[in-house]
Amino acid sequence: MFYQTPLKTAAILLLLTAALVYSLVAGFFGLEVLTEVAILVIVAIALDLVAGYGGMISLCHGALFGVGAYAFASATVLLGWDASIGLALAILTACLFAWVIGAITARTHGIFFIMATLAFGQMGYAYVFESRTFGGDDGLPGVPRLDLSGLGIDLNDSFNFALLCVALATVAYLLAAALLRSGFGRTLVGIRSNELRMRALGLPVWRHKAAAFAISGALAGLAGALAAQHTMFVSPGLLHWTLSGELLIMVILGGLGTLVGAVVGAGLLVFLKHEVARFTEHWHLVVGLVLIAVVLGGGRGLYGQAEHLWERRQAARKAATAAKETPEHA
Amino acid sequence: MLEAQDLRKSFGALTVTNRVSLEVARGERRVVLGPNGAGKTTLFNLLVGELPADSGQIKIAGEDVTALSMDARARRGMARSYQKNNLFSGLTVRENLSLSAACAQGKAKTVAMDSLRDAGVAETVREMASLVGLTELLETSADSISYGARRRLEVGLALASRPRVLLMDEPTSGIGPGGIHAFHALLRGLPAELTIVIVEHDMDLAFDIADRVTVMNFGEVVFDGPPQAARESALVKDIYLGTWAEQP
Repeated sequence: MFYQTPLKTAAILLLLTAALVYSLVAGFFGLEVLTEVAILVIVAIALDLVAGYGGMISLCHGALFGVGAYAFASATVLLGWDASIGLALAILTACLFAWVIGAITARTHGIFFIMATLAFGQMGYAYVFESRTFGGDDGLPGVPRLDLSGLGIDLNDSFNFALLCVALATVAYLLAAALLRSGFGRTLVGIRSNELRMRALGLPVWRHKAAAFAISGALAGLAGALAAQHTMFVSPGLLHWTLSGELLIMVILGGLGTLVGAVVGAGLLVFLKHEVARFTEHWHLVVGLVLIAVVLGGGRGLYGQAEHLWERRQAARKAATAAKETPEHA
Repeated sequence: MLEAQDLRKSFGALTVTNRVSLEVARGERRVVLGPNGAGKTTLFNLLVGELPADSGQIKIAGEDVTALSMDARARRGMARSYQKNNLFSGLTVRENLSLSAACAQGKAKTVAMDSLRDAGVAETVREMASLVGLTELLETSADSISYGARRRLEVGLALASRPRVLLMDEPTSGIGPGGIHAFHALLRGLPAELTIVIVEHDMDLAFDIADRVTVMNFGEVVFDGPPQAARESALVKDIYLGTWAEQP
């Protein structure tokens, strides 16, 4: 079950502070990287919600991200609608797509669920790739950013846009944490633990899984809309399954089913990508080695391992206190 | 309260339950007996909707539920405990019981509040933990408690959903004599209006609690009557003890 432990709160505050301090000292390139991380954090949280807490290892979250990006680009570039309407449309479209995928795949498990979500994702990719309306493999350029000039904020400024993405990533974390602490979230964990028993207790499990997938899709759609604004361009690569794979790697690197791990993993993967790429173009090899090390090291991920050690220490302290309070036998 | 009419289930050429009928009154304690492979667990699976029946009809409080899903039947008051522990692994005893109570109290889908902190859910958890003797273990992981405690939690999960009909599949399997005595006491403490169907191999427990006994063999009901009649039935003795063939 999800609990917003002091360790989680401290880690999130530390990461948020680091992001804000970095935004103040970073140059243009640094702000671009920070924006990329914040956007990936949102979609990684979306994935951890269903994979880590609902047991639904999805390989279509890249596609949901892409659907959000394309919905935003279509609304603003093709239809000329305001970017704020585009943002709402991106969230709603990805949410609806995710609900349909979730409802259809909810009765499948394990490898079959993974393959079904992969198939849905690749269908989306293939459609966009071949669609003239969406620009085919050329994609759609000229995507505008939200207009917050009424508030005196120019989002074409990298600093402002980075801060907006960091703020929305924080909101995404708070929303996901609140959801996981609700009856809905507790039940989702129950489904992950024992789906048959949840059905035996009277829960229409497929509806719950589809709803969780839809909420996750909405977050992925938000991230997609931000990505479209960030690069001001969308292309079919946003829906490709390799992005879904990278998202899974992020969540596993940080710690599946910890929520904070998704944040850590997204930051770590982007850091590795940019830092290692300075020395070699084979940065994927390094990421692969780190992933293997994490999996062989217990599979808890970086934050997950820290949380595990912290919980063990807490338990040991509690046991020691209880032992002290228990009167010795004569 | 619970009616089954001519239930039939086959797996390929093997007929596991054949024309099984059962009528259990409200508040009745019905014990289902039979040797291994008699079709008792399959009958439970058919009653709760875990398996679809090939033919036949199932009613709860007069309502035909044959076409309903497992979760829909549970929402009409049908609960079960399993022969092999079927708990929420990785969660504490409190979290296990909370999931069941939240489902029964309509708090499993809300995003507005934490079902673990809800007063109604917490009260049910306290009550059920006390009933099945797990109060001291509420914060312990269900994976770390003893086998006997897990058997009690198995029953506690079913009870926390406040069922009208409770099906218990060998609730004392694998536990020692002390645990069986404790289970006797637990059963006696359950509400009189609760309808219970129980598969049990412990004869003392079975005859102690039963208002009526149903005996199954090779997928069919071969005896249905009061416990005393079951005790005296040559057929029941034969099924349980077998017949020694006289040596020539």
